[in-house]
Amino acid sequence: MVLSPISPSAHPHAELVHRLERGQALLAEGGTNLMEVIGVLKSYGIVLGEYSRVLKDIAARQFVSPFPVFKFFEGSVKPAQLWRHIIHDRINFEYAEYCMKSMLWHGSETDFGKYVDSDEFAANADRAIRAWFRSNPLMRAIHAIAPEMFLEQARQQAYYRNLGQFWTVMSDIFLKLSDEYDAGEISSATQVSEFVLAGLQDAAADPIYYTLSIRGEDYDLVPKSKGFGFLMDAGVPYVEAIFFRGTPFLGTVSYNAQAFQISSNPGEFAYGALYADPLPVGGAGIPPTQLMQDMARHLPNYLSELYDGGTRGRGDLLIKICESFQKSMFCVTTAAIWGLAPNPLTTDDPQQLAENREYFEGWLTRLTESRVSRVGYTV
Amino acid sequence: MLSALIFIPLLLAVAVGLVPERVTARGLRVAMLVASSVLFALALAVAWQFDAASGAMQLVERRPWLELLGVSYSLGVDGLSLPLLVLNGFLTLVAIGCTSPTLERPRLYYCMLWLLNAGVVGAFVAQDLILFFLFYELELIPLYFLIAIWGGARRSYAATKFLLYTAISGVAILSAFLGVVWLSGAPDFSYSVGLGSSLAIEPQIVLLATLLFGLAIKIPIVPLHTWLPDAHVEASTPVSVLLAGVLLKLGTYGLLRFGIGLFPEAWLEIAPVLATLAAISALYGAFAAIAQQDMKKMVAYSSIAHMGYILLAAAAGTELGILAAIAQMVAHGLISALLFLLVGIVAKKTGTRDLNVLRGLLNPQRGLPIVGSLIVLGVMASSGLPGLMGFVAEFMVFRGSFSVYPLQTLACIVGTGLTAVYFLLMINRVFFGRLPDRFGNLPPVQWHETISSMAIASLLVVYGLMPSLFLDWSQAQISTLVPRVIAPQEVIVPVAISPNQSDL
Repeated sequence: MVLSPISPSAHPHAELVHRLERGQALLAEGGTNLMEVIGVLKSYGIVLGEYSRVLKDIAARQFVSPFPVFKFFEGSVKPAQLWRHIIHDRINFEYAEYCMKSMLWHGSETDFGKYVDSDEFAANADRAIRAWFRSNPLMRAIHAIAPEMFLEQARQQAYYRNLGQFWTVMSDIFLKLSDEYDAGEISSATQVSEFVLAGLQDAAADPIYYTLSIRGEDYDLVPKSKGFGFLMDAGVPYVEAIFFRGTPFLGTVSYNAQAFQISSNPGEFAYGALYADPLPVGGAGIPPTQLMQDMARHLPNYLSELYDGGTRGRGDLLIKICESFQKSMFCVTTAAIWGLAPNPLTTDDPQQLAENREYFEGWLTRLTESRVSRVGYTV
Repeated sequence: MLSALIFIPLLLAVAVGLVPERVTARGLRVAMLVASSVLFALALAVAWQFDAASGAMQLVERRPWLELLGVSYSLGVDGLSLPLLVLNGFLTLVAIGCTSPTLERPRLYYCMLWLLNAGVVGAFVAQDLILFFLFYELELIPLYFLIAIWGGARRSYAATKFLLYTAISGVAILSAFLGVVWLSGAPDFSYSVGLGSSLAIEPQIVLLATLLFGLAIKIPIVPLHTWLPDAHVEASTPVSVLLAGVLLKLGTYGLLRFGIGLFPEAWLEIAPVLATLAAISALYGAFAAIAQQDMKKMVAYSSIAHMGYILLAAAAGTELGILAAIAQMVAHGLISALLFLLVGIVAKKTGTRDLNVLRGLLNPQRGLPIVGSLIVLGVMASSGLPGLMGFVAEFMVFRGSFSVYPLQTLACIVGTGLTAVYFLLMINRVFFGRLPDRFGNLPPVQWHETISSMAIASLLVVYGLMPSLFLDWSQAQISTLVPRVIAPQEVIVPVAISPNQSDL
């Protein structure tokens, strides 16, 4: 821990700014926070593993199929599997798609987003689309008439792949974190953030690419050679799209876009996981409900017991999971903020410290309206 | 069998006072639930024995009692009293079901509840004017204690107000009964249709007006209504259920049985005034409900508005109108009971009924979603949405009254529209929006807390789709209840009862 030689911050969230500077997590330490964070990240890790497998499979198998009816079945449609799907004894892969679409919508300013909007990607996709529909003249004709239609689907598939790759890594990080906790190696929220940061840094250079195999022939839609990496082209856009911006889905607030209640600039959106109100979770039309339902299936026993001890027992389980999840996301965000810091946290150079201060204050300004006011100070 | 419905509750009222102290309130409640189930089953057995095709009084019991005073123990049930008898049995069971298992002074409470039950049953089946009056007065005392002891912060004020109003009501009713018997020269107080018809129209009108004054307090009709919102607000949930569900019906039952029954000609004279009062009640109740900030008070004013519809239908005096009045009595009994039950749960869980404070209770995880859903259903029924019981009753009221009193009927239809206004205001405020943080840790609603509400809600749907299930009981009776000019020879002069005469 390094004590800052520069004057204290005057930021409204100065305490949190100083905490970040000292290498401490945004999430307040104490209470049941650590148990909640680890427990929920364990279930999240399991769910992300499922999500990522299916997302990558859709990118590989479905590509531009016009009617991907069995896209969540990973190529095997058995009656028992179909029945479980119908009675909803399954993971809500729709939530994974919701996140993928958020990344797609908010990704236009990123390098990856610019690439999938480029002529180069369009040419790559066109080749793959023609190969995909080689024996389907009707679709080839439609592609010829409306070339943007399948191209847009191919862009979406690139994000399926991107998010699938990202979540594969994150799943491993969270499950390893849980193992470390079970082994007694993790004892604070700060250690959680440090662990996540280490995992992100380890995987930072992992390539993000999309190569599609059609009848034994490979088609590079996003070639490895473009140099897209895990941290800057999947992690950062994901945090931006899902943690910060999100989408203004209907909950207890009804938005009137015509009255400009929703900014026309997606960059100003603040509907993401760090800002979301957990109370509406459980209702219809609220995407995080699906994630919480999925995580509820994989909670470790210690977390289940903690939740069962509340006034409502399992009656408000989804909201409790969401509250814990939000806490865990502040730990992950802490790691991301540290990872992108302009200078090492351990620096003694006043100039670098000032740059870090400005950088951290910028983040906290952005988080002013987020739930950090609740989870950053109280347990 | 009708005597059993009166005397079993009376015996229970005595017996419950003798229960040893070691029996807990919880144990006592279970025993009372069993007893009220048996009594409800008995009421259903009466309905089972009842011949719906016959328009006559049935299961008649007549025994001489205070012969010197001309008072007999005379009971009977017909298509008018049977639905109310069954409703009373059902709502007593519901009221005990929603009584707190940890109630203080449970013996006295259940004693009062059984006295109340016996009084109500007796009033519905009494075929002697004085006997009716005695039962009518009997229910006053336990209800006073039920409000005064187990009520809210201003329970003493509300109970005293209730006592004063209802005592005056009793005096007026007794005066009318004494007047009609003495002036008509009847040998005793036995009830007979058209008993007052032998009088000139002027004394008939005076006596009917006196009777109506007494009954209008009970119903209540504006401007004699002011005791009701106070009584409801201060009463506990089970008492409110009984008050709105059954006790107010004593007033409307009296209208049809004694107002029309004793003075059919005078009724025709006075009916336009009643129809206008009904419209005023419906509109006043609705507008007052809109202005309320207390959920329970809103439902109470809604009660006043909906009781106005019964008066309108009765004033119209058509066959459909009379049937509609009975239907509306049952519908209002169930709907108001449901709403008071649910408001009681909201108040119990949140600690408030304030519409300015409550929000977001439909939150699926931390709110009261089942309670909210049931209230939405109750509100829909109260607003007369098709497919629910309220629609059947209200449509019959308006259909049966429009040809006679079109303006008053239109005013009442506006009142129905206003029902949707104030109840949607309530729903919007209490159940939609974000659940405030102060309500973020509400205790869960247990299944036994909502089972009564679910049963009532089911009845509202079933009767809404198949209204003949309960209307069939009354249809054959209607022709005898329609007000008309009765020829002197049609009046059945009661005969003295010999000591051995009984139809038992």
